[in-house]
Amino acid sequence: MDLLLLAERENTLLGQDFLTWLWYKSEIRDGLFELENGERFLLFMEQRMSVQGGEGENIDTATVNSSSGDMTEVLMGLKTGKKVTRAQLRMEIDENAWQVQIKAEDFALSGLKTPKVEMKDEEGDDPDSKFLEKIFLIEKSLSLLDCVYMEFIKIRISNNWQDEVAKFRHWLRNDEEK
Amino acid sequence: MPILSASVGLTRYRIVEEVEDDLIRSIPNLLVKYAFKDIDHTAEERSFGWVNMDDMLDDKWSISPPEKGQYYTFSLRLDTRRIQPAVLKKHLQIALNHELEEAKKEGKNFISRDRKREIKDQVTLKIRARSLPIPAIFDAVWNVPDNRLYFACSNSKVLDMFEEYFTDTFELTLEPLTPFFLAMNMLGEDAAQKLESLDPTYFVG
Repeated sequence: MDLLLLAERENTLLGQDFLTWLWYKSEIRDGLFELENGERFLLFMEQRMSVQGGEGENIDTATVNSSSGDMTEVLMGLKTGKKVTRAQLRMEIDENAWQVQIKAEDFALSGLKTPKVEMKDEEGDDPDSKFLEKIFLIEKSLSLLDCVYMEFIKIRISNNWQDEVAKFRHWLRNDEEK
Repeated sequence: MPILSASVGLTRYRIVEEVEDDLIRSIPNLLVKYAFKDIDHTAEERSFGWVNMDDMLDDKWSISPPEKGQYYTFSLRLDTRRIQPAVLKKHLQIALNHELEEAKKEGKNFISRDRKREIKDQVTLKIRARSLPIPAIFDAVWNVPDNRLYFACSNSKVLDMFEEYFTDTFELTLEPLTPFFLAMNMLGEDAAQKLESLDPTYFVG
């Protein structure tokens, strides 16, 4: 438990840096990422996002829930030094799509929607087949998330992180010129 | 929350200890040993334990076994009796009025603080015995070869209960895969020092 308390600072720091970086990364790459085995997938942030800044009693939060995908308000937040604390992610491989909301500080996942699993029982079906298909799809989405997190964490602890932040700033400034 | 729902909340864990084959084989027995115990016919406030993921009434895994492919599946069932504050307030008032009338007959015009507390406990117990426990179900899926576990809930109180009860049952520790622990898990213990000494990033400058 002590270790869990110790990790609180690191959890928040890493989680917020990750989601903030992920926004930039998915934007500049048009959402294209690649698994270790070369399988390509799309991952982008959509619709819902929260950014937060400040400390202690002076925490400011801006939340957007936009069906049109207009993220102007949270983008404004980023420009004043806020970081992403919650986001809705969409992942796609071919025809299959997943949707999930993720919280920066603990990576709690909510509203995880996998591609549809046929719930009707057909004669002769393995009684566990629905479960096995569902858990396969859940684990698939986790492996996609882990893949982008791995990419982040490697850069984050490397000497290249400051370069990455410089690129991030450039992206954020360019957005202003649009 | 059922794992088969169209929309699932999920907490991920890693199992810290190495899980011996003997223990894996004894999972079904341990689940039965620590199964949920019904409180419908008692006045207990709360009860929790394991049930079959396919049927929350099956506490003996007679309908289907917990094994599904490489996974062990079970649910944490938590039944809670909740008393509406307004209901308690009303019945407490009735009981106190009655007590005061009795006291007056003996020439007393008050009820002591201790007696009030006693009456409140009695009333609470009486209402509790008459109210039905509300069941809640949270699915757990244990991927044995990968040493991972998924729990379909993100409520911190339920998570604490689940983690503790899991440890009581299997004598194993769950480590939530939060950003720090997930990173440690990916990079290995050697990266701990680096991960612990990171400074927050200033994304604007």
